[in-house]
Amino acid sequence: MEKLTSPYKWGMVIDLDRCTGCGACVVACQAENNVGICEKHEIAEGRNMHWLRIERFWVGEYPDVRVRFLPVMCQHCHDAPCEPVCPVYASYHNPDGLNGQVYNRCVGTRYCGNNCPYAVRVFNFYPHQWPKPLDNQLSADITVRSRGVMEKCSFCIQRIRRAKEDAKGEGRLIRDGEVQTACAQTCPAEALVFGNLADPHSRVARLARSPRRFQLLEHLGSHPSVYYLKGGGREHV
Amino acid sequence: MKRRTFLQLSGMTAASALLAGCQSKNEKLIPYLIPPDEGVTPGRASYYASSCSFCPAGCGILVRVSEGRAKKIEGNPEHPVNRGRLCARGQALLQELYHPDRVQQPLKRSGARGSGEFRKISWAEGLSLLTAKLKELQREHATDGLAMLTPQLSGALSTLVSTFMRSFGSPRHLSCELLAADWLRLAGRQSFGQPGLPFYDLAETRYLLSFGADFVESHLSPVQYGNAFGRMRQGRDTVRGHFTYVGGRMSLTGASADRWMPARPGSEGALALGMARLILDESLFDKAALAANGLRPETVLGRLQAYDLPHVAELTGLAQEMIAEVAREFATTRPSLAMAGEAVAFQTNGPESVRAIQLLNLLAGNLNRPGGVYPAGSIVGSLAGPENSFAALLALVESMRTGRIKLALIKGDPRYGTPPATGFQQALDQVPFIVSFSTLLDDTALQADLILPDHAGLESWGDVVPLAGSRHMVYGLMQPVVTPLHDTRQFPDVLLAVASGLGGTLAAALPHKSCLEFIKGTISKRVGGHKKGRNFETQWVELLRRGGQFDTDKEFGKGYRWAAASQLPDPARPRFAGDEKLFPLHLQVYSSTSFHDGRGAPLPWLQQLPDPISTAVWDSWIEINPKTAASLGISHGDLVEVASPRGVLRLPAVIYPGIRPDLVAIPLGQGHRGGGRYANDRGVNPLELLAMVEGSEQQAAWNATRVRLTRISAKGELVTAGHPQGSYRSDLIGI
Repeated sequence: MEKLTSPYKWGMVIDLDRCTGCGACVVACQAENNVGICEKHEIAEGRNMHWLRIERFWVGEYPDVRVRFLPVMCQHCHDAPCEPVCPVYASYHNPDGLNGQVYNRCVGTRYCGNNCPYAVRVFNFYPHQWPKPLDNQLSADITVRSRGVMEKCSFCIQRIRRAKEDAKGEGRLIRDGEVQTACAQTCPAEALVFGNLADPHSRVARLARSPRRFQLLEHLGSHPSVYYLKGGGREHV
Repeated sequence: MKRRTFLQLSGMTAASALLAGCQSKNEKLIPYLIPPDEGVTPGRASYYASSCSFCPAGCGILVRVSEGRAKKIEGNPEHPVNRGRLCARGQALLQELYHPDRVQQPLKRSGARGSGEFRKISWAEGLSLLTAKLKELQREHATDGLAMLTPQLSGALSTLVSTFMRSFGSPRHLSCELLAADWLRLAGRQSFGQPGLPFYDLAETRYLLSFGADFVESHLSPVQYGNAFGRMRQGRDTVRGHFTYVGGRMSLTGASADRWMPARPGSEGALALGMARLILDESLFDKAALAANGLRPETVLGRLQAYDLPHVAELTGLAQEMIAEVAREFATTRPSLAMAGEAVAFQTNGPESVRAIQLLNLLAGNLNRPGGVYPAGSIVGSLAGPENSFAALLALVESMRTGRIKLALIKGDPRYGTPPATGFQQALDQVPFIVSFSTLLDDTALQADLILPDHAGLESWGDVVPLAGSRHMVYGLMQPVVTPLHDTRQFPDVLLAVASGLGGTLAAALPHKSCLEFIKGTISKRVGGHKKGRNFETQWVELLRRGGQFDTDKEFGKGYRWAAASQLPDPARPRFAGDEKLFPLHLQVYSSTSFHDGRGAPLPWLQQLPDPISTAVWDSWIEINPKTAASLGISHGDLVEVASPRGVLRLPAVIYPGIRPDLVAIPLGQGHRGGGRYANDRGVNPLELLAMVEGSEQQAAWNATRVRLTRISAKGELVTAGHPQGSYRSDLIGI
């Protein structure tokens, strides 16, 4: 783990006992971050651009069968496999513990995507269209990525930046709950909670201490910033 | 580069090199000459409060607007129904506004009907055409030749439309939706003597038993109940609510359950009564509740003699032990609650099955208490909404077929959303003049003679009374968040303009200049703004800022009890359309998370959103149990032909472990002829397969059709975003 150079260490807790798999987070993310609209053939080639996906697992066989959902976005690892392989430092680690991606540095080697064990980096294989007037929706806060650029979940860094500016203006730190990612904000079941893990009293830090917590591919030692809470009481399968 | 800049930069580089010792490696590597966050420039946006117009749940929304353009829709945290949360469909409403294929000005048909050839006309011409048609009806004293078809409306718009029709002199206003909760209102009247919709206190319950109620996808108020579900699971320190789901198909809601009971289609009511009998037999019922509702346990038990455990186990195809265990858990884990949903209601014995589930709630003492069911969680009385709009639809079809309807005004897309078995489509073709108010060239608009395009939801004024999402009276407001993009007019404004053009009683009944004035009038009465000493304009601005009136103390009634006159429920054996030998499988159509009843299909975000369970995108599919598929030689992604007594469709197969072997399921919402570039000619419309059940023609029994499957080829062209074969083991968790 690297030394903290910031009072923030952004992280997320995803409570799988609350998650219903409804997909509201997926659309929220796409709307907030100017994620391209992918046609059927792109998805058929495995080139879907969603930054956040909901994995679905079947467990058991009929009639003792269950479905489990697992929302997966960039895990913002503290020892991120994607960072050291970028030849142009497009993927970097920011002082708040986020995996940043600088789009105008990216030359499209796709090494980072190759190295990501969670497969959450998406590459613009195609130029994406927003036929007029659909382009009115595009957010001016962040760029629209062109073809040949790798992109990924940023924990809605534009929202964090805005909150930081607000807080700085008032000479204070960002309060717990003041900044939320688009997915956590919209989640109907409140399964996703975003916040500052460096503050032991924040909601996300308290939830991350739950005995139900686990992380994806923990054994790789990538130290993700996203904690999952196991669903409980699934006694009938 | 200036000399000064150069020196500044080299100074900074030198300074950062000196400071390198106390910085992380990454920061040392990346010079600050290029700011790493470039491309991120958080701007200042304005937020406007409004209400979501996608489905009748009526959630409150905040729309982020910058530079006069709507950028993102978020939930309104002050709104008691959705508490700052929003579903996928609500957020995609932006694309309704900015859809590239919107109808941009009034259109008049120029080619043959259905050819899609239209001529652009002005609003003056469009309105005079409509007014002339209405005058013609008045002159011929045939005012009942006017039919109005709308979705189920609420608030001022509902009043406006009914005033318009009454003053014009036509009783034919049909408010019909495929998934409308009429069946629940009807069951409410029969059991509790009032036709309101129930409110379920999911968040506080300890045992939830859902009979096909898919509250995560579409049932009543998905965001409210999705949120309450989260709180039921993990919102309390020591209690984790248990959830059992009953239904032949494991829906998205069922996927979150702790236990799944795949009961045979149509047997859910018998299952509820079997549980009721066991609860009575073992004296696990709430004695006080029974007495308070005027029921005697002996009488009820006597009436339920037929529903003994072995018999119910045989009817439902479930194990006796499982039924008994769930019944005991339901009765002893209090508060508990049972919900009934569309999968149960749209059977031939649906209404009685729903009442059987209500009886189960009564026995366990769940009525009118925290963590239980409030039978009247919404408006009751004359404003409650229709109880059997399906019968009204059939009556209208008959009048259209016999040529009594001369003019049809249609808001919404009933041509797509009504099963052809009703004869609606052919009957509509008999109507000489059809006016559509659609924003897109949808299936109905393609057949219309005149299109007077409505504003998108985010350009409109309006008010919304949310459907059954709160125990308190909530009143949401809609306001335009952007200036209208095209030369469109709001549907109520068109009605008002026509009313003033016609003059007479109609103009007298609707003297308002605009829809905004009409809504302000309604609200003024509601908040008492007409009283002296109160400034209505200040109140109005405050209401707009908040998005409506939420802080009302007015609770819906909680005294409702079992109506003494009502019979105990007795669901008959379900009947199905189609011979069992020719058509061996049951068909279930269900509302998917993306499309609801089809209205989400034109929006690309929803088309691209993978279905949560099948992960299919941009298409329709049919879900088949692995065993059934194997016996028919069908594998994942194959093209199969589905034949019912009514029709034949071809679509790709999805192998779905969570469905009974004798059941197949198709999601609603695809297979539009119109609807813009993202929706048209994509997938199939399963409504084309549905047949009427003999002897139950007056009833919306949409899950009572039998089908047969045949494999056609391996080229189903199914695209799934997830693992194509369906993952049985997690690669990410390592368990």
